[in-house]
Amino acid sequence: MTAYRARRRAVRGVQYGILSMFGLIMAAPLIFVIYASLLAPSDYFRIVAPDQLTLQNYSYVFGHAPIGRWYLNTAFVTASVVVGAVIVNTLASWALARFRFTGKQTVFLSVILILLVPIQAYLIPLYLQIVNLSWLNTYWSLIVPFLVNPLLIFLMRQYFGRLPKDLEEAAAIDGANRLKVFWRIGVPLTMTGIATQAILAGTWTWNSFLVPVTFINNPSMFVLTLGLDSLQAQNYTLPTVQMAGVVLLTLPIVVMFLIFQRFIVPSMASSGIKG
Amino acid sequence: MTATTSKADSPQRGTRRGLRRFLASDNPAAWLMLAPALVLLAWWYAVPIVESVVLSFQHVAEFNFAQRSFAGLQNYQQLISDPAFRKSLEITGAFVLGVVPAQTVLALLIAALLHSISRAQGAFRTAYFVPYMTSTIAITTIFMQLFVKGGVAATALSVVGVPNQTWYASTHLALAFLVIVYVYMFVGLYIVIFSGGMETIPKDLYEAASIDGAGPFRQFWSVTLPGVRPFMAFVLVTGIIQAVQVFDQAYVIAGGTVLGSPAGATSTIVIFIYEQAFRLLDIGYASAATVFLLACMIVLGLLSRRFTPRGDRL
Repeated sequence: MTAYRARRRAVRGVQYGILSMFGLIMAAPLIFVIYASLLAPSDYFRIVAPDQLTLQNYSYVFGHAPIGRWYLNTAFVTASVVVGAVIVNTLASWALARFRFTGKQTVFLSVILILLVPIQAYLIPLYLQIVNLSWLNTYWSLIVPFLVNPLLIFLMRQYFGRLPKDLEEAAAIDGANRLKVFWRIGVPLTMTGIATQAILAGTWTWNSFLVPVTFINNPSMFVLTLGLDSLQAQNYTLPTVQMAGVVLLTLPIVVMFLIFQRFIVPSMASSGIKG
Repeated sequence: MTATTSKADSPQRGTRRGLRRFLASDNPAAWLMLAPALVLLAWWYAVPIVESVVLSFQHVAEFNFAQRSFAGLQNYQQLISDPAFRKSLEITGAFVLGVVPAQTVLALLIAALLHSISRAQGAFRTAYFVPYMTSTIAITTIFMQLFVKGGVAATALSVVGVPNQTWYASTHLALAFLVIVYVYMFVGLYIVIFSGGMETIPKDLYEAASIDGAGPFRQFWSVTLPGVRPFMAFVLVTGIIQAVQVFDQAYVIAGGTVLGSPAGATSTIVIFIYEQAFRLLDIGYASAATVFLLACMIVLGLLSRRFTPRGDRL
């Protein structure tokens, strides 16, 4: 028995060892970026004593840009897209995963078809639509087109498809209607999928650049990616200052990820109902 | 669009019984739940995409949309004989073959390992997702420093016989460099997808397997792998689609010079489309390339469907 335990402990050690090493490799660039953002510009790419570290890059950014406003714009747009996208895509994917209806396969294949087209290819027609609505330089242009996402519909459909087949029948016997089954059983059982949707929609919107750079040119409507890029254009070439910009951009989504990833947990289906 | 036709078709016309049967079926609930997504998809995606299909048959004056003329198949004829286009297809193909197996296998193994431990899962998962959350410019720039001649990675890899040179400036190594940066950034995404998918596997399956004397490898093979099948389908399909659409990393590698640098070695299909549309301002030609790409993907999709077991088809 002790030999068995010792072996188990060794296996655990190897598992954690591999995971930690991989974690270090993956986190290294951000650690480097944070470190570099604390260096004086003349110390870039050098190793310095901790007391040589400085916040001057951050004070430069804050002093030269309405960064508070940009944060507010980005947070508002991202929060709107996350909430809206989770609702729209979850509803659609439930229909695609759980219901039998005429045209189901056609709808799903159309969703995949749209996924196949790179945004660069239809950006100009999309831009013209935004112009026609007079939505240039508005939050609407950054929110409304992104409330639906074929990739998230596809992802969530896979989650809903994992729920037991007889779920609806069992619930119908208890007198629950279709929407009640969705809301009371489907959604609570797939919080992992919903959290993943929120993480993805949040990351894409927060970091999005190509779309805002096309639809927004009024500095007070800038999102963070756009604002930091506009600083670069104004002789903002010091790498340490740019690193501070990357940190300011990245830390909030890391925090967002930490919050949402807590919902990536065993679904109740694993313990309650047979899968 | 599909909504109206199927609503009209499914109940036997006019009869009350038919209407009642329609209302009792899944149809009303299904279309109600799909409505917001379908309206948005039609308006924001289908219309612009159809618009680019129309554009592919037109000549458009440089960014003056009022001036269009019918071009018939001219854009397509030009496309087929354009060596730059053919090269971009080859490069994209090679890129996808390099990226998809690597990111899928790596993500699956790490996610399975993560699934088997009980502590600090959240911390590990966050660390793995960091590159996907960090700006492409920052990650790519750091990798360029590592793979410059004499840089840490370039020197280390010269031990196994890769010449010590600046990878992203070499026509032989630039694509491999792009694959490395891309896999590094995207593997975290697929780890999170697999990781979430593995949480849907009932715990008692592992207990049962363990009682039957199955070791970790056996459990991975007979419980985890079948359990994540729907997510494997998702990761493969979206992994291929996203790799075909690689753009940002190649854009940064070019560093403000001609896209696809060096000498077209990283000129993937979307880089080609972007070049035609935004630098050479030939929207019609760019649209033809898009439609051609779409057609290729559909044909590939239909072919792969034939070789997929019925139960695993999308």
